[in-house]
Amino acid sequence: MADAREIPVRHLPDPGWPVAAPFWEGCRAGELRIPRCRACHRFVWYPSAVCPGCGGGDHPWTRVSGRGRVFTWVTVHRAFLPGFADRIPYVTALVELEEDPRVRLATFLRDVPGGGPQLGMPVEVTFEPVDDRLVLPAFRCVTPRG
Amino acid sequence: MQLSERIAIVGIGETRYERASTRGLMALLLEAARAALADAGLAARDVDGIIAPGATYQELHELARELGVRGQFFNAESWSGGPAVVAAPLLAALAIEAGLATTVLCVRGLAWGSERRGNVGQFHAEMPNKASFEIPFGWYPQVVHFAGMARRHMALYGTTEAQLGAVAVAARRHAALSDNALLGGKPLALADYLAAPYIADPFRVHDCCLVNDGAGAFVMTSVARARDLRQPPVVVLGVGTGVSEDGEYSSLRANYLATPAVHSAPRAFAMAGLTPADVDVVTLYDNFTSMVLQQLEDLGFCRHGEGGAFVEGGRIEIGGALPVNPSGGQLAQAFVLMMNNLCETVRQLRGAAGPRQVRDAEVGLLSGYSGTQHATLLLGRGG
Repeated sequence: MADAREIPVRHLPDPGWPVAAPFWEGCRAGELRIPRCRACHRFVWYPSAVCPGCGGGDHPWTRVSGRGRVFTWVTVHRAFLPGFADRIPYVTALVELEEDPRVRLATFLRDVPGGGPQLGMPVEVTFEPVDDRLVLPAFRCVTPRG
Repeated sequence: MQLSERIAIVGIGETRYERASTRGLMALLLEAARAALADAGLAARDVDGIIAPGATYQELHELARELGVRGQFFNAESWSGGPAVVAAPLLAALAIEAGLATTVLCVRGLAWGSERRGNVGQFHAEMPNKASFEIPFGWYPQVVHFAGMARRHMALYGTTEAQLGAVAVAARRHAALSDNALLGGKPLALADYLAAPYIADPFRVHDCCLVNDGAGAFVMTSVARARDLRQPPVVVLGVGTGVSEDGEYSSLRANYLATPAVHSAPRAFAMAGLTPADVDVVTLYDNFTSMVLQQLEDLGFCRHGEGGAFVEGGRIEIGGALPVNPSGGQLAQAFVLMMNNLCETVRQLRGAAGPRQVRDAEVGLLSGYSGTQHATLLLGRGG
């Protein structure tokens, strides 16, 4: 796990916002959880009252593997928010989940290899605590076994 | 109701573009509106329709009162962002053909240079899902969103930084030919572009549009009335609008690199009875260099993935096969949500663009983009 001091103290999510609270609860428990429609089993991301697949309204938060692939990435060299001033440059990315590539998470990439990220590079979730209430999910680049 | 070749743009007006004005937005809007009416040879009492994208309730009525618009008028809100100005002729054509108005003024300005002081990402920060799931991870603001698209375009198609640079260089060359472009006196060579530091890799400062103050306006009336006015009419040939199927979050779009131009452009071309091969000059929403590539692809000027090669070799410069944003666009002239580009297209089709004139320009295409929305407008030199 990364050093908690690495996380900016500003522009953090509100873990009490009811729509997203189960997501942050999952992160505190070391699990990545995404709402999934009970009727048609489609993931509903971002959280929404209505399933984009079938219109259903019952979407229990469901644990996913935390494995995925790099969809795109940006190396940011300027702090657009004060909380990022002490960590630039950083690599922010969209990661598509193994269970359903339509589910993409914005995240920090960790353990980026020397040649930089690549499209489709495998990643897995890692949890970075900020304080008692908040744990942020980041993704580590992993070398494919083989 | 047939809408092609029914109305014309008969007057245009713009303020000086400034990094930050001390005059306030309303003064800029009024100056642009009065200039457009004077250009048309019309008076405010002739105006019975107003389209003022982005104006508040108070601003709209202050505008009407200050201009001297009296009595009944037709008012319409036209989308938002880049498509609003580009789609305004569709609303004007509907109103004029239906007899609701005879003369419609569209006016649009921005004072982001003085008001927002560079904080252009605020409206994203106010969306709860972005505040929860994007901003904490540094996926913010717009320059990062669009750099992500550019990066994937490069990774999928081999698009190069030099190809993005070709767009920036063309914009700066065009701005140098304008007397009202913020970066008109600042030439940019490709080597300078490539030597600049990254802001959000692959973007440098030269890939990003300006933040400034300024306003523009244009006047529309029927083709029949336009013939009696002082300027050569520029006729509305076709206009189409479209919306992304995936909603607000660009990070989640199924077709991540497609703009809704894929929906609006076929409608505009069908209304006009034209194809991309008929277009002589293009102005498009160049918020970032890579979006020039993506829109050219989606509008049908080249195939998907080929935008990078398309913009090389001066093709999009004045004198090239398809000049794009001949007044410098939003990268090098001013960012006013396509109003500068609309006024420039009208000048080009009047044959009145001076040193920037595209030879034999008879058909112009405007591409107005704002993430989830798009409008395509085809204008033609009046007979």
